Amino acid sequence: MPPALRAQGITKRFDAVVALSDGALTVERGEIHALLGANGCGKSTLCKIIAGTVLRDGGSVQVDGVPLEPKRPADAEAAGIALFYQELSLVPQLTVAENIFLGHEPRTRAGFVDRRKLEDDAGRLLGPFQAVAGSGLDLHTPVARLAPDQRQIVEILKVLARRPRLIIFDEATAALDRRQVEFFFRMLRELKAQGIAMIFISHRLDEVFEICDRITVMRNGATVATYPAAETDVNRVVHAMVGAMAEHLHPPQVERPANEQPRLVVDRARGRRLRDVSLTLRPGEILGLGGLQGQGQSALLRGLFGADPLDSGRVNLDGAPLRLRKPADAVRHGIAYVSGDRGRDAALHGRSIFENIAAASFIRERRVLVWPGRLAERFRQAAAALNTKYAGLEAPIGSLSGGNQQKIFIARWLATRPAVLLLDDPTKGIDLAAKADFFDLVQRLAAEGASILFYSSEDAELLGLCNRILVFNGGAIAAELSGGTMTALHLTRAAYGDAA
Amino acid sequence: MTGMSMRLRGRSWLVTLLALIVLVAVNAVLQPNLFTGTVLKSNLTVFLPLVLVAIGQTYVVLAGDIDLSVGAVIALVNVVTVTVIAAIGNGVGAVLLGLLAGMLTGMACGLFNGFLVAVMRFQPIVTTFATGIIFSGLALRVLPTAGLPVPAPYWRTYAGSLLGLPVTLWIFLTALLLVALLSWRPFLTHLAAVGGSRTGAFQTGLPVARIRIQGYVLAGLFSAFASLCLTGETASGDPLMGRMLALSSISAVVLGGTALAGGSGSAFGSVLGALVLGMIGNVIFFAGLPFEYQTLVQGLITLAALAGGVLVAGRQRW
Ligand SMILES: Nc1ncnc2c1ncn2[C@@H]1O[C@H](COP(=O)(O)OP(=O)(O)O)[C@@H](O)[C@H]1O
Ligand SMILES: [Mg+2]
Repeated sequence: MPPALRAQGITKRFDAVVALSDGALTVERGEIHALLGANGCGKSTLCKIIAGTVLRDGGSVQVDGVPLEPKRPADAEAAGIALFYQELSLVPQLTVAENIFLGHEPRTRAGFVDRRKLEDDAGRLLGPFQAVAGSGLDLHTPVARLAPDQRQIVEILKVLARRPRLIIFDEATAALDRRQVEFFFRMLRELKAQGIAMIFISHRLDEVFEICDRITVMRNGATVATYPAAETDVNRVVHAMVGAMAEHLHPPQVERPANEQPRLVVDRARGRRLRDVSLTLRPGEILGLGGLQGQGQSALLRGLFGADPLDSGRVNLDGAPLRLRKPADAVRHGIAYVSGDRGRDAALHGRSIFENIAAASFIRERRVLVWPGRLAERFRQAAAALNTKYAGLEAPIGSLSGGNQQKIFIARWLATRPAVLLLDDPTKGIDLAAKADFFDLVQRLAAEGASILFYSSEDAELLGLCNRILVFNGGAIAAELSGGTMTALHLTRAAYGDAA
Repeated sequence: MTGMSMRLRGRSWLVTLLALIVLVAVNAVLQPNLFTGTVLKSNLTVFLPLVLVAIGQTYVVLAGDIDLSVGAVIALVNVVTVTVIAAIGNGVGAVLLGLLAGMLTGMACGLFNGFLVAVMRFQPIVTTFATGIIFSGLALRVLPTAGLPVPAPYWRTYAGSLLGLPVTLWIFLTALLLVALLSWRPFLTHLAAVGGSRTGAFQTGLPVARIRIQGYVLAGLFSAFASLCLTGETASGDPLMGRMLALSSISAVVLGGTALAGGSGSAFGSVLGALVLGMIGNVIFFAGLPFEYQTLVQGLITLAALAGGVLVAGRQRW
């Protein structure tokens, strides 16, 4: 019997970024197959290719021995494939029931939505989960009002509602608690007994060994090994994930007086996704925030920027307490923020490069009226420092490539001479050359005394740039790496929790 | 209504309903004969075109798009209809063919908009602004100056009665029925999904481009209905017809509680919004205020509705 899924030699690049160079995966019927690998190694991309959301550049996919060439998600669905999206595929405005059956609404004979059946069916799917779902997970609730774990449950139900024969769970347990995970695993075992094939991506290695039959490990866009779970152990797997990667070279440590006052002190910060985070950041230091995606790194940075204010905890800047209720508070104290989600957080769409750079300076300097001539010179210097190619400060922001746009947003903050720079996965989707310029600049800023908090979803970037790394897990700091412990192995182990 | 999704934040249409009731009360005080048959009928005749365009606009806005060309579509449908009727003759058959040609024209305009926006991925505001200019240009090409009266059966029927009720009321009720039928279809949930999260809708396997195009085609069709009503009222061709209706329709949609960003709202809300805008005109007229106040007040009310929408949305972070 042919395997449920056989993917071979899958390649994919996004502009200059090679996401997959040789992705491969074989899953048998009735098997739960783990897919492991460090952040950014291409797991999600491989899954999206199988599910038809991303088109592959090369390679082959067979489902039950039949070649699959999905042009769109519906094609893969027709072949019995369903994907739990790591970043979720839910529509916030629609209700739980509408989301679960989106695109598969039961219909009356007249072609109208059969609301009764829709709710009955959704209720039947949701019922077993109710015991562990917490309050407020109701069929009629819009998804926007749900807690993160409840949204994940809805995404799980949405996948199940499609009655797939191959299910891919891309970090489906990331926000679930232990009870929810146990319940979920019981469900997976039932599906397995029905002969359904499953791919399971998780950052919790204990879970992987608990539920999975075989484990495939990826590294840097390529599949490196497959093991039967019973015949391997955590150590082997982690080594395969990290590989014989050269131990990294630490950036030159800038000599600082030992008694220097810390720049930023965070004491027991709490928020929706943060549990008692404390840290100290010195002038000129680049402090990395590592760990798996969504473990509180962005929440901390957005909290320190006042974009999603912290619930409690103290923040001191140069010894003085700060109140951070909104971004303007942070900007006035010289705290800058750059996010990789350029479109959402940063761009003044349709405005000129000049206006995009100027936005932050206005707030920092409480300007009401501006004299463009005077500011332009300052911005030109800032943009030049970035090696940015642009037609002129008057050109619209949209005329720049992604990487260059990102540099403009950094320039925005350079012009304010920030004391603290918060980098929230800043290099998402920008090309390699722009990345190199960008890191150069970050190092130069640090050398000039700026303190930098740097979250990246790619481990290599953290190891290459930071003086120290705080590894996050479940909203708390799980480990601190510095000096000799700053290796890919330690980082991966800490990120994947105690099991490693 | 979009059923369950209506129950979420689309509550602002309740405020609009309240405003409508207050406006009707004030109007009744200023104009004691408001509730007589003739006055109600003439009011409905005045409000009907905006009601229809606003319904169509809702389907575009729900999907996260916008259509600024609906005013120009109205003009183009009008001149096509009168020209076709005049070319064929003046019988009932000619009128029916003219109506059909008008509706097809509206749908074709919507198809064109939808293609540019959803397939070519042009920016909706700029695109429909530009296509609006094209449609206006075409209308002037078809009929350079106002004129070309429609035959009597057309406007007499429109002004007349059927089974004891005015034809305009039948049209209004039919439009409401169409809205209800559409809202019970999965299509409406899909439109809202596309407007609420385009990525999510795509990943779910919905044909995103096709859904957005269908939204535009509906907007074109309802604009054609509006145009055919206006034609019944004016009884002739006018290449400049309907100019104000594009922006008013967006005001009505906003007043009706549909989020301009897409994802939530209902066409019934837009009907309420259109009626509120119409009643504001009435009240200003009967209060003896200068006509210019009408646009001013409509603008302020739309702003207030937008501000209300921002307040509601601000509290719901995704
Ligand atoms: N849409 C995209 N555009 C540009 N780069 C992308 C895109 N999606 C993924 N990448 C890049 O591809 C690589 C693999 O990403 P991903 O598959 O998400 O990794 P994983 O799921 O293993 O963490 C990363 O370097 C990431 O930045
Ligand atoms: Mg991933």
